[in-house]
Amino acid sequence: MTPKQIEIAIVVNGQPTVVHANPNSPLKTVIPKALEATGNTGQPPENWELRDDNGTLLDTSKKIASFNFPAGVRLLLNLKAGVGGA
Amino acid sequence: MSTAPQLADPQVSRTKFNREVEEFRQLAGDYARRGWLLVEAEFPRVFVVMAAPQLKPPPIVTGVLLDYTDYDLRPPSVQLADPFSREPYKAGELPTSLLRQVETDAMPIGLALPPGVVAPRMIQQQPLMQSYGPEELPFLCIAGVREYHEHPAHSGDRWELHRRDGAGRLVRILEVIDTYGIRPVNGYGVNLVPQVSGLTQGEVPA
Repeated sequence: MTPKQIEIAIVVNGQPTVVHANPNSPLKTVIPKALEATGNTGQPPENWELRDDNGTLLDTSKKIASFNFPAGVRLLLNLKAGVGGA
Repeated sequence: MSTAPQLADPQVSRTKFNREVEEFRQLAGDYARRGWLLVEAEFPRVFVVMAAPQLKPPPIVTGVLLDYTDYDLRPPSVQLADPFSREPYKAGELPTSLLRQVETDAMPIGLALPPGVVAPRMIQQQPLMQSYGPEELPFLCIAGVREYHEHPAHSGDRWELHRRDGAGRLVRILEVIDTYGIRPVNGYGVNLVPQVSGLTQGEVPA
């Protein structure tokens, strides 16, 4: 039986969107969906980082269910800083 | 802060600027809990102050002045600035240099390995705020920032390569500053200067 999909609100560089996800999948599976929904397709998913609304970096290799996200959860997806240094 | 003239259609830049500000305001309560306070937004400039709510009492760490002139033909200009006067900090005045850890196999200057020995991976601390001296205006050295792309050392990493990734978007830039300059703050630095004011005495004899 297919597990029930859950809704996760994701703010991509400040732009909100909602994606549907299988709770038994790794959290990283929501990243390409959120990028596609917001038209951010120029950088691969690994160049983005996902945080909770307190700004805490999330381990996206873990299953979504393991985070016990409450209903209405909102996550923040932002482009990593990249390589700096002049 | 760069003062180059507006070349893109001003209405385009203004519309994109308004989108940045509007999206920020939609989640302003969430950002405020993280210490991000949008103080003023009038095209083409945005001024945000960033506090460290994890400390009690919470300090305002820095102001951030962004200039979206010519956006997004060109990326925004970004300066860390005094939160009260809004004057951009010189390098020697910066409250944070946005240190990050990077892995490298480059050996420290003066050290060399024998031929054939594989260099170990080393962790270095690298400031994202770069400058040539304490009296210079530093710049945020990441793609998506005007000063980065206008620096001759980055002529191979053009803005056009990052423009569609949201690299210059307001929340993304604030997130970088928060990650390296605000969230790592875990206490107040205090200098104590003890002075000898005389001798103390224990029990007074009869």
